Amino acid sequence: MSELHRTVLYDRHVAGGGKIVDFAGWEMPLQYAGGIVSEHLATRKGAGLFDVSHMGRFVFGGSGATRFLQHVLTNNAEALEAGQAQYTMIPNPGGGAVDDAYLYRFVEDEYVLVVNAANRQKDWDHFAEHLAEFDDVEMSDKSEELAMISLQGPLAGKILTGVIDSGALPEPMRNELGAVVINGIEVRLARTGYTGEPICFELFVESASAPAIWDMLIERGAEPVGLGARDTLRLEAAMPLYGHELGLDPDGKEIPVFSCPLAKFAVSFSPLKGDFIGKDALAKQHEAFKKILAEDYSLIADLPRRIVPVAVAGKGVARPPAGAFVGEKQVGFVTSGTVVPYWQAEGEGLSSRITDEKAMRSVCLAMLDSDLREGDPIEIEIRGKRTEAVIVPFHLRSEAPPFARPILHDHALISHKGQPLKDGAKKARELLEKTLENTIWRQTECINLIPSEQTLSPMARMLSIMDPAFRYAEHKPLKAFYEADVFYYQATDFIEQVEFLLEDELRKFLGFTEVETRAVSGQMANAIVFSAMVDYINRADRKVQPRRLGCVMNNHIIKGGHLSSQPMGAMRDFVAHDPRTEKPAIVNFPVLPENPYKIDVPACRELLGRYRPELIIFGKSVVLHPEPVAEIRAFVDSLGIDTVIMYDMAHVLGLIGPHFQEPFADEADIVTGSTHKTFFGTQRGIVASNYAEADERYNLTEAIRRRTFPGSVSNHHLGTLVGLLMAAYEMNHFKDEYQRKVIANAKAFAAALKRCGMDVAGDADVGYTQTHQVIVHVGYSRGVEMAGKLEDNNIIVNYQAAPNEEGFTAAGAIRLGVSEMTRFGMGEGDFETVAQLIADVVNNDKSVKAEVKSFRDGFTDLKFCFAGEEFDGIMEKLHALI
Amino acid sequence: MVPAELRYTKSHEWAKMDGGRVTVGITAFAAEQLGDVVFLELPAVGESVEAETPFGVVESVKAAVDLNCPVSGEVIEVNEDLTANLELLGKDSYSSAWMIKIKTADDADFQNLMSAEEYEKFLEEEGSH
Repeated sequence: MSELHRTVLYDRHVAGGGKIVDFAGWEMPLQYAGGIVSEHLATRKGAGLFDVSHMGRFVFGGSGATRFLQHVLTNNAEALEAGQAQYTMIPNPGGGAVDDAYLYRFVEDEYVLVVNAANRQKDWDHFAEHLAEFDDVEMSDKSEELAMISLQGPLAGKILTGVIDSGALPEPMRNELGAVVINGIEVRLARTGYTGEPICFELFVESASAPAIWDMLIERGAEPVGLGARDTLRLEAAMPLYGHELGLDPDGKEIPVFSCPLAKFAVSFSPLKGDFIGKDALAKQHEAFKKILAEDYSLIADLPRRIVPVAVAGKGVARPPAGAFVGEKQVGFVTSGTVVPYWQAEGEGLSSRITDEKAMRSVCLAMLDSDLREGDPIEIEIRGKRTEAVIVPFHLRSEAPPFARPILHDHALISHKGQPLKDGAKKARELLEKTLENTIWRQTECINLIPSEQTLSPMARMLSIMDPAFRYAEHKPLKAFYEADVFYYQATDFIEQVEFLLEDELRKFLGFTEVETRAVSGQMANAIVFSAMVDYINRADRKVQPRRLGCVMNNHIIKGGHLSSQPMGAMRDFVAHDPRTEKPAIVNFPVLPENPYKIDVPACRELLGRYRPELIIFGKSVVLHPEPVAEIRAFVDSLGIDTVIMYDMAHVLGLIGPHFQEPFADEADIVTGSTHKTFFGTQRGIVASNYAEADERYNLTEAIRRRTFPGSVSNHHLGTLVGLLMAAYEMNHFKDEYQRKVIANAKAFAAALKRCGMDVAGDADVGYTQTHQVIVHVGYSRGVEMAGKLEDNNIIVNYQAAPNEEGFTAAGAIRLGVSEMTRFGMGEGDFETVAQLIADVVNNDKSVKAEVKSFRDGFTDLKFCFAGEEFDGIMEKLHALI
Repeated sequence: MVPAELRYTKSHEWAKMDGGRVTVGITAFAAEQLGDVVFLELPAVGESVEAETPFGVVESVKAAVDLNCPVSGEVIEVNEDLTANLELLGKDSYSSAWMIKIKTADDADFQNLMSAEEYEKFLEEEGSH
């Protein structure tokens, strides 16, 4: 028997009480003193520390490296930018897996491929065999000189941050890479792992330095985890293990790669890959896979079985290769299975909490006939007896960081109880009473600090529910009538006039030549522009499938961008897929390291030149500073890029002017916005554009009109259109004082919060904010809890994920806006009082509900609107008509 | 130290004779080796069991292990409490973690089992591998 290998951390495993076993020729810890169950649970609630140095690490360099990797791996290596990683398969010609692997591109000119310990030699030989067909590829085995440590779990980020000398964690998304210095040594970091934990890191460090870093992480609270829990964690996350879900099945038959659900992401048929090993076989599997998903089993012979998560409902533990049955028919077998522990949760939804109660559940992965579906009951034969089981979509979900959430097959669905059948009039009365209660609470007892919200003036409110609210007034201009608008209904003169006046008021307010007012929300306004852009860029080519926008530049959602300009939001159907990255062709504004709320303008120049975006979208929902529209306009002009600059001013529409920013002066082409955040209006959206009629781009303005009606709205909610006209009158009349006060209040509020000991985001040199918003950090993943506590005290804010946080469930900030309370008359001194009340709740856990209520009592009359005796009579007449 | 009054198998079960009734469990060493036990399958009262053949299964997270019967006979009692409190196996291996009681016809099987002294020696030899 050949000598067993030891990793550089072997002594640590022995000293830590590790039960050492032979794993693929390596002496590795199966578990430590606490045992598998305890290590599994520690990873799910704290942070597990894994020595994964036994895995193979191959480094590829040379100008031919990418081409080589495209040939021997299934994923699209060229899609990786420096700083990104991807899961991939090492295919064989028959469409099976030689191994599965992870490809890391830490730096431009080098790839690191991590392969399974058991397959290291086999993989190396396989690559070596194909290397001869490629020029200028350097392949080296760095498994010995480079150690690899994995740190996984909700506290992983905090622990890691605690040991870093310099540098920052990678961007808070899976597969992002970075480098930091720990203990004086450079450590490469990857947001990857094999546990299903949303907060996950793998560390690559020269071997000699690994033991000291291992010790530091343990000292900070990481718990060492052996191979036993590594297996139960990956099983719960339904991740495949070579030899079980990949490779050969128990009968020695090749498992097709597409049997694994992750193959969808790990196999690319990008033309950039050219011909790669196993391509034909994989393409065949892929065709079958697509049909099977559509419940068409005509190609099932090409993919007879798929690996799915199965929950064991009856007694027993389903271990491989136990048979799976439906009736008397064997439909497959278990590939991996055991009993896994989990922390029980209490409560529902966002407020559900992980408790200290443990429980166990019997789960497995099984290779089952492809015509079985989620929810199908099956039986598993355990020692000659059948036990009930069910196919489930997953065992665990990772989308609510910082915790991975166990999903139980028998969890009762949240039920929204309908009302018992009762008297209709009684229900009506109840609704009226509830509305009264809610309106009194929000209008007179709460301090409303949601920056997206605004209370309407009594006049705007009254006008919104008068007669036009029940009418139709669709219209469109016809060139046959020299652009005269044609209305499709009668008795529309009044609303036609309102719309004309509204456009006129908004043109004056924005300084733009054209304003489209029929969008009924800000998100719709953005979607109208995207749709119009697609219409416009295809104007010369009407007989073919319209092409989508080639590249769009915007603010990333985690850097404050609004979801309406994200591919997961309104942008989805309008932006092309980048053939290289196989993702939506979106490039994000880089941000300043010292202030992630600000765009890094100089860094944009290179990106603009490289990507030449067809559409540039400024604006965000976390907005502390003006956007660098003029600077980017100058770059665009000097680089000669044919692009449209759009500024989504939803949050800051009511601040347009000399106190904040003037998009007209900054030469934005298009401004969109919702009309009810800093603006005074009803809840609607607008699109403004600034092209002269003689300009070729005026075609875009016309496209915006068409994509509004009939593209996006049929009737356009005429009641709130009248209300918006009143709001526009108010804005144009009162804007100078209102805007000045909003910004002064926000700065005073930020400064006061800071004085109260709170962690205020933004640039201190400009008073933290130049808008109506203030961002306060309340502690990683405490945002939801703090926003809830403030609501209990009648202070209404929203929780907000900061730019370095993984998602809204991990939000560590709250977002505050001063516009609504400014409109109710609060001044700088009042916001200092509010700052103290917030600090009392957040920092001192005090109850201030009564103080908040009595404080708000002094601010119930809306300012910056028309009032007085001259209006009383007509307002009464209008009210009497309701 | 293992209890002196018990007899032992090479597969780490213990047996206690009490006038024709044999109580059976697994040793502390076995429980420790298994780690976290997650499932236990025991025979029903009235079933016949045979010496040196499996009478049940104990499962840890990692593996399923057969329980071998030290003696032949008929199961007359099963420890139902244990199946709900599996942690007893590691905490109280020789007492409350008993598994089954068997009525035997003669004590020949029992006499063939290892004594406490022999079992300890056996453990030492096992450990030295």
